[in-house]
Amino acid sequence: MNLFLYVLTQVCITLVSVCGIYILTGLTGMFSLGSAAFMAIGAYVSGLLVLNTGMNMYLAFLLAIAFAVCVGYVIGFPVVRLRRDYISLVTLGFGESIAQLILLLSQYTGGAFGLIGIPRRVNVWIALIIAILVIILTALFKCSKYGRQCIAIKSDELAAKAMGINTSRVKMIAFLLSCAMTALAGCLSAFNIGYVGPTDFGWKKSADWVIMVFFGGVNSLTGSIFGGAFLTFLPQYMQALNKYRAVVYAVLVLFILNFKPKGVFGEWELTPKNMRRALMRFNRKQRKVKER
Amino acid sequence: MSFQILINGISTGTVYALIAIGFALVFNILKFSNFSYGATMTASAFIAYFLVASKGWGLVPTLICSALAGALISLIGEFVGFRRILKNHSPSTYFFVSSITLGSLYEGLVTLKAGTNFYVYPNFFETPTIQLFQTVISKENIIMLVISVAALLALAFVIQKTSIGRAIRAVSFDRDTAQLMGINATLIIQAVFIISGIFGGLAGCFLGIKYTLTATMGSLVVKGFIASVIGGLGSLTGAVIGAMLLGIMEAIFLSTMGSGWATIASFAVMLVFLLIRPQGIAGSNVQEKA
Repeated sequence: MNLFLYVLTQVCITLVSVCGIYILTGLTGMFSLGSAAFMAIGAYVSGLLVLNTGMNMYLAFLLAIAFAVCVGYVIGFPVVRLRRDYISLVTLGFGESIAQLILLLSQYTGGAFGLIGIPRRVNVWIALIIAILVIILTALFKCSKYGRQCIAIKSDELAAKAMGINTSRVKMIAFLLSCAMTALAGCLSAFNIGYVGPTDFGWKKSADWVIMVFFGGVNSLTGSIFGGAFLTFLPQYMQALNKYRAVVYAVLVLFILNFKPKGVFGEWELTPKNMRRALMRFNRKQRKVKER
Repeated sequence: MSFQILINGISTGTVYALIAIGFALVFNILKFSNFSYGATMTASAFIAYFLVASKGWGLVPTLICSALAGALISLIGEFVGFRRILKNHSPSTYFFVSSITLGSLYEGLVTLKAGTNFYVYPNFFETPTIQLFQTVISKENIIMLVISVAALLALAFVIQKTSIGRAIRAVSFDRDTAQLMGINATLIIQAVFIISGIFGGLAGCFLGIKYTLTATMGSLVVKGFIASVIGGLGSLTGAVIGAMLLGIMEAIFLSTMGSGWATIASFAVMLVFLLIRPQGIAGSNVQEKA
């Protein structure tokens, strides 16, 4: 049971960041290989604020998210006007720079030893509630005007521009929202584990999130959440698999990309209407079986 | 600025140029950023280490082995990761994910074999440095400079003067039309991946000699990306110019600020470049086609 609660907390934290990646990659079609760096910013800023000033944890979360969004604005400003490739290149460079910066500012961040002694105040329930709130927010964003504009940009940026969508503004909004969510995930993780290390935030982590989103289905929020949850649960329960985690992930996704490019869920969403439809189809099948 | 710094900068710059060129070649032909490139470098450097260098066979066999390994990995990557996506005319996002996944696969495999340990190539020279005009230059730097320049010149010759080079240029310009003209685009794409892999293998080996071999060494590919952004995404000349500039700038940063800040400073330079001149020095502006 203890293990289950621990894993559930990890899953919730991962889902918060996967939601951010879903908005960025799934909806808008941009790839960030520096999302983990925003997670690092969230974790370090909130941890340092609470350790040094003793302020309320939630206030520290908000300040950390605000800080991450400001940094995201500086990074995003030059690149949202350009081709979408640039954002991946720039965020990759940004991730490497943040890792260096953490090591350089060692008198504040603890350098290679990491930040120790953060109060472990985030338990599984707080993580669960925040994850659910973030998922609802993401679903609302997808249904909103901005969500639809993001989807338009993803399919064809030029056409979206021609239809009067301010593409650079919408891309910026998606990018900042994604920064905020990954930073929140960083805050949660810092206050759950009680420790932040500088090595946990490489491009591999960002790549893992992208892989999770694509595993479940890049066009479907349900699929992304399923992918995030499944791929976090799986290695925790198969310790033997943990060593091969990266390889297994990669092979799974290569198979999906080659043979079922829309992901496990495709574009299917878990809405009441779709559930009813699936139920009806199921009933019909049952009836046919009985008639036979 | 002393002569010493300039030499160091140029020799680093040529290695970055190898990375940037290998990246720009694939970018040109398939119009996507190949993020598996860094891990290809790491994997080929490790293969060369375990197969050749650890047996004490000297520098040249190691380089050849690394280049061949890079070519092979790159070719397999093209077959596993990109062939079907290309055939299905999937949107470019799939290329991204495929390359990220391949990168994470290679890096995972290297980590399985090598763990998180450090490996060091053996010393290839008995006297590691030579004295020239009152400056001390390491022989490794000179070898890097010579081999990189030779490789770049060879590539320039192939691209500009041979028929396969002409085909590569045609396919990069417009794949469908080139195919109508009787060019086997799949073959050309394979050739480009092989060339890119050779450059990646050489660069990986050089980076391993210059620094240490670790499973996360591939993150140095960032320098190549920065160089190609500065030079202009997709332009081969621009990539070389950008890489040289970046190498010299980094040598200056390194001597004035130390290694940690140098990384951050070169990132800042890239951001400034994107703000002022997003099309890069060479000015090739890659726009999405309607």
